[in-house]
Amino acid sequence: MNRRGLLSAAALAVLMSTTSFNAFADDAFWAKAAEPYKGVTIRGVSESTSSSNYAKDVLAKEFSEKTGIKIQFETTSWDQMYDKAIKDMEAGSGIYDFVYIEQDIIYSYLSRDFLVDITQSLKDNPSIASPTFKPEQFTTFADYFKGPNGDLYGVPMEAFLKTYLYRTDLFEDAAIKEQFKAKYGWDLAPAKDHKQYREIAEFFTQYGKDNDLELWGTTVQASSGHPASFYEFVETIAPTFGVYNWGLNTDTWAATVENGGTMNSDKAKAALNWWVGNLQYAPPESTSSTWDEVSATFSAGRAAQAFVYGENTAWIATDDTRSTVVGKVGVALPPVEPGVMEEIEAGKGYIGYYDGGAFGVPHSSKNKEAALLFLQYIGQDSVQADWAVNAARVTHQATYDDPRVQEQDQKTSGYYTLMRDQGKLFAGAPAFPFHGQLREAIAPYFYDAITGKLTPDQALDQAAVRAEEELTRLGYRKQN
Amino acid sequence: MRSPVTGWLFLAPTITVLAIFGFLPFLYVAFVGFFDWNPFAANPGLVFAGVNNYRRLVFDDLFLRSIGLTLQFTFWVVLSELVIGYLLAQLFMRDFPLKGLFRTIHTLPLLVAPIAVGASWKLLTTPGLGPIPYYLERWFGIDYRMGAFENQAFITTVVMDIWHWTPLVTLTLLAGLSAMPKEPIESAQVDGANRWQIFWHITLPMLKPVLLTTIFIRLMDALRTVDEVWMLTGGGPGTATRYIGLHIWRVVFPQTDYGYGAAMSLLTLYLTIMLCWFLYVALVARKPRGS
Repeated sequence: MNRRGLLSAAALAVLMSTTSFNAFADDAFWAKAAEPYKGVTIRGVSESTSSSNYAKDVLAKEFSEKTGIKIQFETTSWDQMYDKAIKDMEAGSGIYDFVYIEQDIIYSYLSRDFLVDITQSLKDNPSIASPTFKPEQFTTFADYFKGPNGDLYGVPMEAFLKTYLYRTDLFEDAAIKEQFKAKYGWDLAPAKDHKQYREIAEFFTQYGKDNDLELWGTTVQASSGHPASFYEFVETIAPTFGVYNWGLNTDTWAATVENGGTMNSDKAKAALNWWVGNLQYAPPESTSSTWDEVSATFSAGRAAQAFVYGENTAWIATDDTRSTVVGKVGVALPPVEPGVMEEIEAGKGYIGYYDGGAFGVPHSSKNKEAALLFLQYIGQDSVQADWAVNAARVTHQATYDDPRVQEQDQKTSGYYTLMRDQGKLFAGAPAFPFHGQLREAIAPYFYDAITGKLTPDQALDQAAVRAEEELTRLGYRKQN
Repeated sequence: MRSPVTGWLFLAPTITVLAIFGFLPFLYVAFVGFFDWNPFAANPGLVFAGVNNYRRLVFDDLFLRSIGLTLQFTFWVVLSELVIGYLLAQLFMRDFPLKGLFRTIHTLPLLVAPIAVGASWKLLTTPGLGPIPYYLERWFGIDYRMGAFENQAFITTVVMDIWHWTPLVTLTLLAGLSAMPKEPIESAQVDGANRWQIFWHITLPMLKPVLLTTIFIRLMDALRTVDEVWMLTGGGPGTATRYIGLHIWRVVFPQTDYGYGAAMSLLTLYLTIMLCWFLYVALVARKPRGS
């Protein structure tokens, strides 16, 4: 072996021994730090999503093997998750040791002082502070889980965008492109604005009928009895028309135009009219569709384009046991009204929600230290890449550079790249401490717009008035 | 003669359990009903509101609509279940091939948890997935989309409840019919009474205690239905199937409006008791004519 070969072999040996030593040291830390809590069972509740199920099925098991701390991890529906977590924290019953904190509810939880200050707790208990848990490795999404003192109250476990998915096999089909251009006079491509989106929806709905296919132009997350429809409007549609923060004036919490809000503004009305109008080009299940059903509809090949939560993008694009459109999924930014993108780029708005959540430890937890260990475990850099590949969620900046993620990025037509490069156009939910309360008060007007009982204009006029009533009753509304 | 103390001692465990799990929560709900209490309000504590929550209820369109819908739902499910349940009970009084098997299958829905019933019906009725919309469209040309049409959603919740609870009515009435003495009916037949006269003047009066018990059980169940409908429609489309139990749940839990929800619960309890009382007076306590 020549000198160069010897050096390479020596370097490789050092690298391998360092890697295995690090792994050994990591394992030793978890075993030692968890020693006092060995045999303890911690309980957590989360929404049943790809990200949570990965944490439950993979990470929780790994953690238990390394620490001897058992985890009862409950993944349930979105409504039930909130119901259980809030009841537990409100009553202080201590059933759960960690809870899922969706980004939009953090402000309500902080205002009620439900959550443990993770940064401070780790400072106070250095014996449970993992050397591999480094908050500075998180993307800026972690900022949404910081309190006014800058401390972390939740360990980010998922972050994703709700993007525009389209069927590449249809959009790139030469015959289809020709037909489309003949009809609309422009080249078929992912829509840049709402007019284009509507024309594409109309075209593919007709194409489905003409060819006897179970194919429609778009999905609409328009369940007429579930808040999912309300969220699609305020998170995904209204911002692309230039209506932000649910149309509330964040200084006075006014909603009506006459009091300085934008909930019933012309832009908001145009947005709701457009969205409700899309129902005519959507599959019949749309008025019963929440986020789950929209993903199922698109993955079943029933729609040419859709707005889909990013957590579902990976499996729709790559998992042929669940999806019929593997290898046929394109990803793009949602279409916007002319002028809105300039507004967003100038920092005056956002194109949609930067969605996701974290796990936090309630004050009522009876096993805070054990729970904090688990949260640090899932917040380590070493577990991020596989998690990102499986659930299309990214919470660490370095995850984007991992070869496994880059490979998955290619299979998902650049979803991860879009998230990294265009994530700045999206924003977390507005800082409402009254999030669920206001949603419950005004969502029925959106349901009535979906069923046609109210016109979109009437629905928004009535919702804005009701929003102000509710915010006055809750004590937030300030007079102009 | 035994001392009354012995009797009270025997009753003590039941009274204690009722006091802890029934009466104390009731008092607590009554107490909370006089306060504005939303833990996510600017002031998250209890703020005395007097009878304002009750006054607000009278003008709350959504609450009044929920009450109206619940009464309609209750009327249709109780009536349908009684009629179908009675016919099935009469059928099971006769002998026919595979009667035992049919009776077992017919009773199976009772074993299914309401939440699972709601989930199953959701799968059955979701357009693009369930067989019901598919065959309604194919055979009758009906555009069945529960998420879009209020009447369809309402009817579906009624049909689901009938499917789930008719077996209970059948079994109860079957027990009543089986225990009924045959002699009065045979005497009436000898006297030349027709089937309708036998039903109206003999079977129905003799079945009345069982019938009334069944009506009251089903009435109270139907008035507080939540889980099946929550799973199937979530109260939609719009608020078309937001029956009162579901409405109260939404106000108390997702909206965390505890004070208003407590007042709503109490008023609903009062309305339920009044409804049962009216029914009792009309059907049982009414004095015979001329007395």
